[in-house]
Amino acid sequence: MIRHGRTRLVAVLMSAALAAASCAGSDDADTVDDPPASAAESDDGAADADDPADDTATNDEPDSEPADDQPVPLEDENQTTSAGEGDADTATLEPVAGGEITWGLTNDGTGFNTTGAIAPGSIRVINSMTEPLVALTVDADWAPGLAESITPNDDFTSWTITMRPDLLFHDGEPVDGESVRANLQAFKDSPTVGFALGPVESITTVDELSVEVAMSSPWASFPFQLNGQAGWMVSPSTIGTNETFVSTGPFMLEDWTPGDGARVVRNPNYFRADEGLPYLDAINFKFLVDATVKRQAIESGDVQGYVSPSDEDVVDYLDDDAIDVWIGTAGANEYLWLLNTTVPPFDDIRVRRAMAHATDRDFLIEQFRSNLTTPADGPINSSSQWYTDAGYPGFDPAAAQALVDEYEAEVGPIEFELSIEPNADVIEFSEVMMSFLADVGIDGTIKEIGQGQSAITAIQDDYQAFSWFQFGSPDPDGVYVFFHSSGGVLNWSNLVNSDIDEGLDKGRQSDDPAVRREGYAQYLKGLAEQVPMLWIDHLNGVEAAVTIPELNGIGTPGMLVDGSPSLPMTSGNFFAWTQVWLEQ
Amino acid sequence: MIVVARRLARLVFVFFVVTFVTFFLLDRAPGDPAERLAGLNATPEVIEGLREELGLNGSLFERYSRWLGNAVTFDFGDSIVTRGFSSWDLIRESLPKTLELMILAEIMAIGIAVPLALASARRPGGLIDKVSSSTAFGLLALPSFVLGIYMSYLFGVRLGWFPTIVDNLPGLNDDPLENLRQMFLPSLTLALNLVGVYLRLLRSDIIETLQQDYVMLAQARGLSERRIMWRHVLRPSSLNFTTAAGLNVAGLIGGAFIIEVLFAINGMGRLVIQSVVLEDFNVVAAVVAILTVAYVLVNFAVDLLYSILDPRIRHGAR
Repeated sequence: MIRHGRTRLVAVLMSAALAAASCAGSDDADTVDDPPASAAESDDGAADADDPADDTATNDEPDSEPADDQPVPLEDENQTTSAGEGDADTATLEPVAGGEITWGLTNDGTGFNTTGAIAPGSIRVINSMTEPLVALTVDADWAPGLAESITPNDDFTSWTITMRPDLLFHDGEPVDGESVRANLQAFKDSPTVGFALGPVESITTVDELSVEVAMSSPWASFPFQLNGQAGWMVSPSTIGTNETFVSTGPFMLEDWTPGDGARVVRNPNYFRADEGLPYLDAINFKFLVDATVKRQAIESGDVQGYVSPSDEDVVDYLDDDAIDVWIGTAGANEYLWLLNTTVPPFDDIRVRRAMAHATDRDFLIEQFRSNLTTPADGPINSSSQWYTDAGYPGFDPAAAQALVDEYEAEVGPIEFELSIEPNADVIEFSEVMMSFLADVGIDGTIKEIGQGQSAITAIQDDYQAFSWFQFGSPDPDGVYVFFHSSGGVLNWSNLVNSDIDEGLDKGRQSDDPAVRREGYAQYLKGLAEQVPMLWIDHLNGVEAAVTIPELNGIGTPGMLVDGSPSLPMTSGNFFAWTQVWLEQ
Repeated sequence: MIVVARRLARLVFVFFVVTFVTFFLLDRAPGDPAERLAGLNATPEVIEGLREELGLNGSLFERYSRWLGNAVTFDFGDSIVTRGFSSWDLIRESLPKTLELMILAEIMAIGIAVPLALASARRPGGLIDKVSSSTAFGLLALPSFVLGIYMSYLFGVRLGWFPTIVDNLPGLNDDPLENLRQMFLPSLTLALNLVGVYLRLLRSDIIETLQQDYVMLAQARGLSERRIMWRHVLRPSSLNFTTAAGLNVAGLIGGAFIIEVLFAINGMGRLVIQSVVLEDFNVVAAVVAILTVAYVLVNFAVDLLYSILDPRIRHGAR
């Protein structure tokens, strides 16, 4: 039996490098059993400026002990995971079917329209009710999930998706080729999210169980897109509906009350029901807006877990024997400031570089993140196989001062406005950042915008600098549209740079890790030179899943349909609810 | 009858003023609901279509008139954020919980304050009076969000007697015990803030009433103290208390908003807070309209209650 009251720390990593380091890459991209080698998770592409939550994680060494319970960045050279005693305990336990839990949600859901922008709260609920076309292996490579096979042609300009026979939606309708085509087409046609399938030219039904997706240009990492929102299949009659979600996953929506939460119950027709999955009878998702309320609720046993968006719970509960903490250490979003490179003063590269030189990221991480995060110098974590040190300007106040002096002599004083959503913690963080800038003569002021207005404001280019949380895709291709000049309005900083474009294209079109690495090095070089964003940190480590010890299966690898271990998913969005179980 | 008509006219006037001001303020708030709903990458045509669909085009007065015309039939428009739900759907879900919370809080507050006030007034300066007065001042000084956290910690986390959150609340008809178990802590938290006010008001009024000649006459006639206090003292001492209770409805609504967040109750407070944060203006306008009507109606009822409590008011009008 697991010893109750023991703090378990499972640090779970998930960056692309992580995947690549272990998957070693298959040279044969044409078979389902041996998918193209690249390691990543898809990014659903939806901007999420107020929720640093879109990460997944992997855990290659579940039995290793944590170094200690100190709040330090948890990662290792091999991109694998260190794990606590709880993992070993769990491994010795036989899962038990039955029971229901209440899971706290930090964000309220706003609906389930798979062709629209979906709120983080909704995504957490959806994750229990759907099984995307593509799953992620423990090595963070892709593998067929709901689909039976996903096969490219030789040059990755066409992919054939074949479904498993006898799959049913929650409403009893068959999951066939036509329903998959309808879902993908609706997603592609959506003005809100369709950009994520930019290269897709056509989607046609091949036979009863298959569809062919034709691309305008090679897209070797396309399957990763199908691990996210694009890969959620819903009953055709409900495509585009917001108030219900009829999909294929282990749980079915029983009730959703906006502002309160949702209740999902076991799907008796789940295609893995013969494996005894899912274990739980039901999950109540309860919207708990206040951090203190969440803590009291888990301490009293009124909820069995939640995802904490800050370092406070991690630091406090690591030493609490009654609460388990599961930390995702890579693949999390980044905190950064977007700089609009088309308006003064950020249309001058000297100002952008001066800001980077003036900002002491280590100090900020120590003061605001309890040293749990890692400094960022781009959208790729340094633990990723795709990372290269491209020479992003480091903390050097003298260099910053020199650039500022040069600029001011030519143009005049440097002043700017930082747009920011009304979040007291982020505002405080930004004020300290501004003090660094003020030290070298860059004067910033804060402009508060409405909650949830970040993306719209950025799209309209109605900003100079912008406080931002985003990216977090371990595979660089997941953020293609946000940096490539073809991204249009989603190229937030409006930077057009040949190194960035060529590098991203090279990475997208090849499945050869060496070629991809070369492409992404070029892309990072462009970003480091041009500094269209002021990078602060990768938020790995601060977003933790907090659970009661009796809840098992979160943060540890599950099992894919073929019996191989799956990526343990520890961000709020991607728990493998299928294999979560409760000690009775 | 004339009084009732006047009150109703005042209600209509207040309703117009409050809803229009709310509408005006929401109109001036930053952000465009249509753009927000359209999401990223939306074309101007899509946004314009949504604006038309949501009734966001036209002048402020046109939109207000349109909204008002629909509101009288409880059609407050669709929620812009949770598509597929009307504003009234969301209110219908949350209103009963807020009403129950407020009613339970009032019952608890009165249930605690009245006996304590009577006991305190009987022996001013006595032990009960001193303790209850000190407690009352303490409760008055303690904000409900602090009190709520402590109550939740003590009775929920430490003692485990009551849940710290309200979850899957059954209807009072379906499972009254479970309903009351879940609503006990939030109601008590809300009530305790009222107890201080009610206790202080009632105590001083009862002490004053006890000096009246008819009370002394009753005592001289040998009526029991209990009978005198409950039958002859409490009622005439309740005018200020009743006024406070009526006026407190607004405070109670505000307090309920905080309590709903602290105990995760899906009530009107949380609904309006979320709607403001997410700029779901149709819902905000609807909630404000309903709360305005409710507030004015409650105070209207309090006015009517005066004449029942004190016959001098009823007869004095003649």
